[in-house]
Amino acid sequence: MIETLHSIGISNGMMTSTVITIALCVVGIIAGRRLQVVPSGFQNFAEWAIGGLYQFFEGIMGTALCKKYFSLIATLFIYILFSNYVGLLPWAGHIPGVAAPTSSVNCTLAMAIIVFVGMNYVGIRAHHGIGYYKHLMKPFAFLLPLMLIEDLVKPMSLTLRLYGNVYGEETVTESFFELVPLGLPVIMQALSVLMGLIQALVFSLLASIYFTEAGTLEEEHL
Amino acid sequence: MGGLVAIGAALAVGLAAIGPGIGQGIAASKALEGMARQPEAAGMLRTNMILSFAFMESLSIYGLLIAFLLFAKI
Repeated sequence: MIETLHSIGISNGMMTSTVITIALCVVGIIAGRRLQVVPSGFQNFAEWAIGGLYQFFEGIMGTALCKKYFSLIATLFIYILFSNYVGLLPWAGHIPGVAAPTSSVNCTLAMAIIVFVGMNYVGIRAHHGIGYYKHLMKPFAFLLPLMLIEDLVKPMSLTLRLYGNVYGEETVTESFFELVPLGLPVIMQALSVLMGLIQALVFSLLASIYFTEAGTLEEEHL
Repeated sequence: MGGLVAIGAALAVGLAAIGPGIGQGIAASKALEGMARQPEAAGMLRTNMILSFAFMESLSIYGLLIAFLLFAKI
């Protein structure tokens, strides 16, 4: 069955991504059933985790923006976190059908485009129209090419940072495995655990910072 | 031709590691100094330090990506 999916063009990363999405939705539904006012058990853990994330992003985005856009930022964080960790499962990449979704540039590019479109949407909404793009001429009008490039490089850097980290970790782990099969890849995998968390945090943090920059009006900066 | 491509790939990742190495060293030294002066602020300093590392790391990762792309062409 996996071969027929490959022949249509569905890659390993896409299949794993679907499984991750369904699993996260199931976990969310289970955490949200039979809510109690004083939480206990799994609901307690879920409230602690999401509450901690909300406080963290509220410190960066401010209360109004955080209320509107927290779901997008937190979804990006949780999805990228689990995608990075799928690559660490035993035999990941060698079983047909299991591969970290973020190890493919297509996945990270899609998420970066979502962040870019979201950033423009937040800006246009906050400035009530196309006046948002006046910020490209802000310090001096002749800096327009520079500001344009800075704006366009944002999604590219998001893409390449996440893709490079995850794909690089995978490749280095494989090379270590070919050198010394026992013990050496564990060092790289331990590093992957730390770097996976950091990259997920950096992606969502940068997304929230871009939203904040786009969404605050000029008078509020000072 | 394969020789030059290999040298290019090696130079790409090797030179790309110099800048972030120096930059992360400076950032870490300042963060450690701050933590030594005021241990109560260690948690906040540590978080921001790790964050800055991720940004500097991405510059070195760009070089690694070029090396991978060239490596496929040897």
